[in-house]
Amino acid sequence: MSQRRQSLFFSRELSWLEFNARVLEEAQDPANPILERLRFYCIFHSNLDEFFMVRVASALRQIRENDPKPDPSGMAPDQLLDKILAKVRTLVDPAGRLYEEKLLPALAKQKIQILTAGQLGETQRRYVDEYYEREIQPILTPLAIDQSHTIPRLSALAIYLAVLLEPQKEGETGRRLAVVQVPVRIPGLIRLPEAAGVEVCWLTDAVRSRLDTLFAGYRVLEVSAFRVTRDSELELDDEGQESYVRMLETELKKRQKATPIRVECEGSMSEELKNSLIEGLGVSQPALIAVRGPLDPRPLLTLVEMPGFDKLRYAPQPPLMPAVFDQERGIFDIIREQDILLHHPYDSFDPVVELLETAADDPDVLAIKQTLYRASGKSSPVLGALTRAAGKGKQVTVLVELMARFDEERNISWARDLEDAGAHVLYGVSGLKVHAKVILVVRREAGGIRRYVHLGTGNYNERTARVYTDLGLMTADPEIGRDASGFFNTITGYSEPPAFTHLVMAPIGMRDRIISLIRREADRARSGQPVGILAKVNSLVDSKIIEELYAASTAGVPVRLNVRGICCLRPGIQEVSENIQVVSIVDRYLEHSRVFVFRNGGSMEVYASSADWMPRNLDRRVELMFPILRPELKDRVVEMLEEQFADNQRARRLKPDGSYERVTPGKAEPVRVQESLYRRALAEAERVRSVTPVRFAPIEGA
Amino acid sequence: MGQTQSNLLAAIDIGASAIRMDIAEVRPDSTLHVLDSLKRGVQLGKDTFTEGHIAEESIRAACEALRHFKQVLDTYGVVRYRAVATSAVRESSNSDTFLDRVLMNTGLDVEVIDGQEENRLTFTAVAEWLKGKPELGTGKSLVVEVGGGSADVNLLSGTELVQSGTFALGSLRMQASVSPRAGTRDQQTRLLKRQIASVIANVKRAIELKEAANFIALGGDVRFAARVLRGPEGQAGPSLIARETFIEFADSIAKQTIDGLVKKYSISYMDAETLIPALLTYMQLLKETQAKTIVVSDASIRAGILQDLLPADQVKRIKQLSSQILSAARTLGRRYQFDEGHAERVRELSELLFDELRAEHRMTENHRLYLQVAAILHDIGVFVSSRGHHKHSYYLIANSGLFGLRQRELEIIANIARYHRRALPQRTHTSYVSLDREERMMVSKLAAILRVANALDKEHLPKVTDLKVTREGDQLVLMAQNVSDLSMERMALAGRGELFSEVFGKRIVLREETRT
Repeated sequence: MSQRRQSLFFSRELSWLEFNARVLEEAQDPANPILERLRFYCIFHSNLDEFFMVRVASALRQIRENDPKPDPSGMAPDQLLDKILAKVRTLVDPAGRLYEEKLLPALAKQKIQILTAGQLGETQRRYVDEYYEREIQPILTPLAIDQSHTIPRLSALAIYLAVLLEPQKEGETGRRLAVVQVPVRIPGLIRLPEAAGVEVCWLTDAVRSRLDTLFAGYRVLEVSAFRVTRDSELELDDEGQESYVRMLETELKKRQKATPIRVECEGSMSEELKNSLIEGLGVSQPALIAVRGPLDPRPLLTLVEMPGFDKLRYAPQPPLMPAVFDQERGIFDIIREQDILLHHPYDSFDPVVELLETAADDPDVLAIKQTLYRASGKSSPVLGALTRAAGKGKQVTVLVELMARFDEERNISWARDLEDAGAHVLYGVSGLKVHAKVILVVRREAGGIRRYVHLGTGNYNERTARVYTDLGLMTADPEIGRDASGFFNTITGYSEPPAFTHLVMAPIGMRDRIISLIRREADRARSGQPVGILAKVNSLVDSKIIEELYAASTAGVPVRLNVRGICCLRPGIQEVSENIQVVSIVDRYLEHSRVFVFRNGGSMEVYASSADWMPRNLDRRVELMFPILRPELKDRVVEMLEEQFADNQRARRLKPDGSYERVTPGKAEPVRVQESLYRRALAEAERVRSVTPVRFAPIEGA
Repeated sequence: MGQTQSNLLAAIDIGASAIRMDIAEVRPDSTLHVLDSLKRGVQLGKDTFTEGHIAEESIRAACEALRHFKQVLDTYGVVRYRAVATSAVRESSNSDTFLDRVLMNTGLDVEVIDGQEENRLTFTAVAEWLKGKPELGTGKSLVVEVGGGSADVNLLSGTELVQSGTFALGSLRMQASVSPRAGTRDQQTRLLKRQIASVIANVKRAIELKEAANFIALGGDVRFAARVLRGPEGQAGPSLIARETFIEFADSIAKQTIDGLVKKYSISYMDAETLIPALLTYMQLLKETQAKTIVVSDASIRAGILQDLLPADQVKRIKQLSSQILSAARTLGRRYQFDEGHAERVRELSELLFDELRAEHRMTENHRLYLQVAAILHDIGVFVSSRGHHKHSYYLIANSGLFGLRQRELEIIANIARYHRRALPQRTHTSYVSLDREERMMVSKLAAILRVANALDKEHLPKVTDLKVTREGDQLVLMAQNVSDLSMERMALAGRGELFSEVFGKRIVLREETRT
């Protein structure tokens, strides 16, 4: 029984690697513009870094702690780790080949060249030498490794050069090892002069070529680059807010100290040097991975984003201002009139910023409350508006989440700025990450207090809003307003959770609610009513929800899932999941919205959520799920989801064996959802504008 | 911030297991809309009912919760609020310290209210809630709220109050009475049920539970039950639970451990601890009635406070409640087999005199109600013994727990009734001296009127039914219509009218006016 049950789930880690394989496919696809392919190649690598820091680290921890508990797919930790590393190899090798054999030549064809030290022209050579002497050498700090061969703490993910040295003086014997960090504050690619098109060289190569200047008295036998990856685990103790922030700062430093879980080195590194590293870093043989292509491709993003070269990127789809905002009225009046659904990045994120900016300056606004998981940093207009509102004496409550992975250092400083402006800043909720996205504006109006609420599936970050697909709802619905108020009272510790009317909150009851919604479909299916589940999430991992979906499938409910990333549900199994289809879309935008549609015997219900269907989101995070109530908006969401399932260009279907295959158009019209939705939005904007009568608004003297 | 909002009201309720606040807005049509509801669990009742006083830790927790509530009040700019504390604070030995700490820490002025006021506020909320529920208008309804310290039980006929009482049937109090003993969950539940049953035996003496065809339940614990039974897709608001379903549910909850409840329902430990005794209490009361369903209402003491705070409410409260209070007084009178005809005639005559003398006494509608109640109940002491019956009336009224009136108000009414015959208020009467100066003046004035009215119905016969009042110098002339011989009444007045002359500076003259 348990064997059978376990085999009904895919391994979360392997499914994630499948997702990254789809990202790599986009880099491999010659139909994509070259710079976009390069971007996907970079994303593939940084995804993999994060995967090692978090997931592989966790598997290793489990092995270290002798915890033999198998995962839901039935694999023990060591077995899983073997499979992970094997799968990683099948991805990393082709990725390296892709870079060297396809991407570099294709770039060169467009006169974009990444030159090695040996390929530099005379002027370029001199330029790099000068640059090295002026900018680089003064900050290089070579570390000689002493006789104990222990390499001191190295920064995670930074590139180091391992240098094998031999004394020049006669009589002195013994080879020595030294380590030099390639500076992180200098751009990783050096733009070269006198180029036919664009010519750059790696900073690492520039340092490498001049290393002899650092080791007087020694002969450099070999130089080879490597970098280490560590367990990113942050263990936080929560004793009061003040110390919370300070502790985090020291915890960050501690993070640097942990043992490496992966060491990547250049393919050309000699066995001798490899062995020195293994010994010096105290890692095991399989943790050392030789890589083709750059160790850290992220500097290539400067090429991807360089101005000009638009032809080498996707045709731009500038976000559109929804027509409803195209009028001479205040945003509060517009929202009061009707709920508004924003679908980013097709729709502009500006209305969200405008809501905050208007609220900051409006004398009738009493309070602004907001959750902020990841803002875009100090220049963020969201932070600007909140800071201004606080400065004007409005009650501003901001719940910042400091545990957003890898973003902590940036978070701390802007959170302090907000506090200085007089805002009430709360650093999270003890034991839970606040991942919900909600803004509440309390405004005094002629008819009484009115609350304006924005609920979203994505972060309040205007930059990611251009590349992540997310839904946002703006509403003045009094019941949602009251729920939002209750939500803030709860997370600020002012009250225990209220009985919500519309909102559903994790970790209190969201899973139960989702399960009961799924069960209701199954019940209605048994009594022959029209049913169906349409859901879109980034990850589907939660075993309880998956089991409910299996039960619904068995009861005859057609279930169509759009799962961009990890999917532990195994579709298409007889008598288990034969009515379940899973597709994944990986394209120019990162699919990020979470949307659920239940046909419910004809009275359809539509929800959007900040939470994925993962135990992490449902048990250890504060999340919000909210209904879309206005009928036209429900229709729009369903249409959007249907379009996702119609995609036959960038959609992949999950097969019962866990692999993915591309959906092909066959004889159908080609549909590429991330373009067709934009065209649709464009057409709609045109239509509304064409039917909106000209308004004669007299301008009166001030 | 900084600006105050006159159309916003707040009610804070410091109960036995939680501190709650509702903030509401008064719409232009005078309806109330709740904007925010806050709740923080603080087990004041657990301290009071087991230790007799509130522990330092709980005082701090309460202050912290209230400080946060105050911040929310300030955000909205709410200035009109009423904060009340019920049995947990009322019965604690350090209630003064508690109130003082709260005031110093939060600036909130908290008032300790007695059981009757608590019940009145709840009833006010229920009456408001019932307005939208005509289906409950037929048959008698039992309205039950099980709090941490006590339970309010009201029997209604339609929206008229028939019987009411506050009983020592609180969830924390019940739990405190059994928890020190070890034993299995089952044994504890049995013990708990027995405790509840013994208090319900008392309830049955005061309230005819079996008359009730509807069962209306209020309170956090029963709202929780409704929420769970309704399932997660249900909406907030009133709901119906079938009798059997509720009984099954209460029994199933009683089988679980506190840890199990916390885990299963994501509730706090504090909520979990009150859940079992509260639901068992509702269940056992339900079983005493004929009700087929239990109607869960979201009416609360806070809703009652908010109703009270509605502008121009003082008059409204009396208006809304006076008929309930008078009918409760009549029910009480009947229990003591009073002469209903006499009582009503004295009430009518008292009202008439009160209304005629408004220019002189300058008293309010509240005072008029006290007089009415005193007139109805002035003779109930006869039930004990006709000798010194005014004194018996005094303590029967003072201890009646009459619905809708605060203890202080009952004290005043009891004093008025006490002085309806013989002795005048005196400095040696402790019950009279316990009132403050203003209250003593009020009692004298109202007793003076009651004495005259009572004299006019000396014969306990419908004789003086039509009076005309005129003023001749310092004389108040009462002209009785269609009456021939008033010598009995005149004689009675001679003995009872001196207080009137003393208080109002006017002598009463009684004349017959026979029309042909």
